[in-house]
Amino acid sequence: MAVNRRQFLTGGLAVAAAGMGLAACGKGSSGGGGASGSANLQFAWWGNPVRNKNTTDAIAAYTKAHPNVKISPQPGEFSTYWDKLATQTAGNKAPDVIQMDMAYIAEYGKRGALLDLAKHGADTSKFVQGSVDSGKIDGKLVGINAGINTPTILANPKIFEQAKVEMPDDKTWTWDSLRELGAELTAKAGSGIVGMGVFFGDAMLSAFLRQHGKELFTANGVGFEAADVVPWFDMVLGYQNAKAIPSAAALTEEAGKSVDQTMLAVGKAAMQMQWSNQVEALTKAAGTEIQVLRYPSMTGNATDRKAWYKASMLWSASSRTKYPDQAVALINWWVNSSECANINLAERGVPANTDILAEISPKLSPTQKAMATFIADIKPELAPTPVAPPPGGGKLNDTLTRYQTDVLNGRAKSADAAAKFVDEVKSNLKS
Amino acid sequence: MSVISELSHIHVEHPQSDEDRRAQRKAAGRDNKAGYLFLLPWLVGLFVITIGPLLASLYLSFTDYSLIEAPQWIGVHNYTRMLGDERLHQALKVTFIYVFVSVPLQLALALAIAVLLNQGMRGLSFYRSVFYLPSMLGASVAIAVLWRQMFGTDGLINQVLRLFGVDAHTGWISDPRYALSTLILLHIWQFGSPMVIFLAGLRQIPAMYYEAAAVDGAPRWRRFTKITLPLLSPIIFFNLVLQIIGAFQSFTQAFIVSNGTGAPSDSTLFYTLYLYQRGFGQFEMGYAAAMAWLLVVIIAAFTAINFYASKYWVFYDD
Repeated sequence: MAVNRRQFLTGGLAVAAAGMGLAACGKGSSGGGGASGSANLQFAWWGNPVRNKNTTDAIAAYTKAHPNVKISPQPGEFSTYWDKLATQTAGNKAPDVIQMDMAYIAEYGKRGALLDLAKHGADTSKFVQGSVDSGKIDGKLVGINAGINTPTILANPKIFEQAKVEMPDDKTWTWDSLRELGAELTAKAGSGIVGMGVFFGDAMLSAFLRQHGKELFTANGVGFEAADVVPWFDMVLGYQNAKAIPSAAALTEEAGKSVDQTMLAVGKAAMQMQWSNQVEALTKAAGTEIQVLRYPSMTGNATDRKAWYKASMLWSASSRTKYPDQAVALINWWVNSSECANINLAERGVPANTDILAEISPKLSPTQKAMATFIADIKPELAPTPVAPPPGGGKLNDTLTRYQTDVLNGRAKSADAAAKFVDEVKSNLKS
Repeated sequence: MSVISELSHIHVEHPQSDEDRRAQRKAAGRDNKAGYLFLLPWLVGLFVITIGPLLASLYLSFTDYSLIEAPQWIGVHNYTRMLGDERLHQALKVTFIYVFVSVPLQLALALAIAVLLNQGMRGLSFYRSVFYLPSMLGASVAIAVLWRQMFGTDGLINQVLRLFGVDAHTGWISDPRYALSTLILLHIWQFGSPMVIFLAGLRQIPAMYYEAAAVDGAPRWRRFTKITLPLLSPIIFFNLVLQIIGAFQSFTQAFIVSNGTGAPSDSTLFYTLYLYQRGFGQFEMGYAAAMAWLLVVIIAAFTAINFYASKYWVFYDD
């Protein structure tokens, strides 16, 4: 026979492979002080082809103006970006300038991995009110808003026309009237189109809780109880029973899709919850000017809806960078110079610097202009900015989706799902 | 006399042979040095890339390690925590179902196709390649993405079913009742590499056994159970152990199909996927390392059981 016991033993080595995957790299040595002026900065971001080109162009412009600064770009893709950043940080090889996300900023900031940018001359003096706070962790400015985002409902006017349903007045609608509208659209649009695609995620839960005087997170941890989530799950079930949203299975499939493949983008849903910086991508994908709507309120008064600005992404620097001043200088240039703004425009979201926004406004596409106008219009509806998810809280949406799917599939009652959901969110937080 | 003379003979010869041996050992040492030199690249790899990280992860499994801060020793806390971790229990359940359903079915299919291909048919190498193809692609991201499309509520499978008048809206990967079965199907579909190994084994069974059995009037089924299976049993054993180890470590399919979440409702939460979520999603690398070691123990246990059980059913011709 070709295989005997001894040869087979080599197969046992495969067992060892199981344990191999997880281990940290040894700590690299860090030394050398920041020489004045000259620097070699590692610059990491995640993006898409457009952003990669813009960012590369901006880096070239910066290094041309500052010949003693060398910048090594580390472009990435969102899903793998965080694995890489965590591993680099563990190995003491974190990039000097880091494009950061609200979901992870506390994870890094609270553990001392991010530089206090204010101490090294960060300039946010021209930033619109409510756009700086989200980058503060424990009183330190560890991230600078790279673009303003706000949760919205995006609507495809063509489907409304097709269904002969009027666009709603988003200043007066409520969660109940939204459900009725969604159901009406599903009934009238035909050809398998539903009123609303993905809608009930962490952003809308946050809005719902805020309208009930709660928050997803507070400085002390989880800001809500199981009793606050029960009406939420009941509401989601109500939407499903009214056929305002697609089946649980279809919703599960949506979660894995890129934004240009979602139901709104391919014309299978009339509305969808989306962060405002996605309007342009969805307008392109849907082939029609997508309309931006406010999410509803409990009272039917938009000023009660407790809206907020979120940083679509932030600029951070590693606390272990050898060149803190130069890293912050680069970030300052990125958010405050017209040179950089003219290259990047509103690709990372509407600039928080009002001077810069005024300067680039004429160059924005009609969609981006509409988005900028919307963000300016909702100022009276803003409530305090939610705190960043604390360490362990960045994956709340996955946990919510799991329990919500159980409720939608009839595998769990709202009350049980709510209790388990809150328990799990709490246990995930690092005290 | 012969005994004594032989003893004295040995006695006389002993010192000489000692000298010889020392010389031999020296020569061997020189040879070995060269050998180790040639092995150096592999040895460096073994110690730096395998054993080093292995020991590091064993250490980390006794720590609270966020990747960002230095690890803190917390003793066996990570291991005791496993007892109360419901999602870990779900992950174990999913993984055990996956392994114990998909591996036997996959091996049975691989053996069946190998026996068919071994009938001396024309174009054997073509068919062999065709059947092997999924195995080369199977663990790849592209295939998992393709399956996600095919088995969607509006995917190819449902569209074909609708052609036959079935009102198919089943979410084969998004309904918690079917999602794991679809992943098992994907695993079974990758039967190519055990099939090729089976085929090689079948080729080595001497034709004379079958001829003799045919002369004695043994029907096909008896020839299969009494000749093919026993003579092939070491190969079956080999495939079984390797496939079980591989299935326990499955990750890509579930990661891609469920977008890394184990959705829907944790019905595709493979053990390695949960480990990944804990390590990189929740920044609990210490706990993830402990989970990795539990997996090592589980796989080692099943491999040991397999080896023990093999005494009773694996037939070595030598």
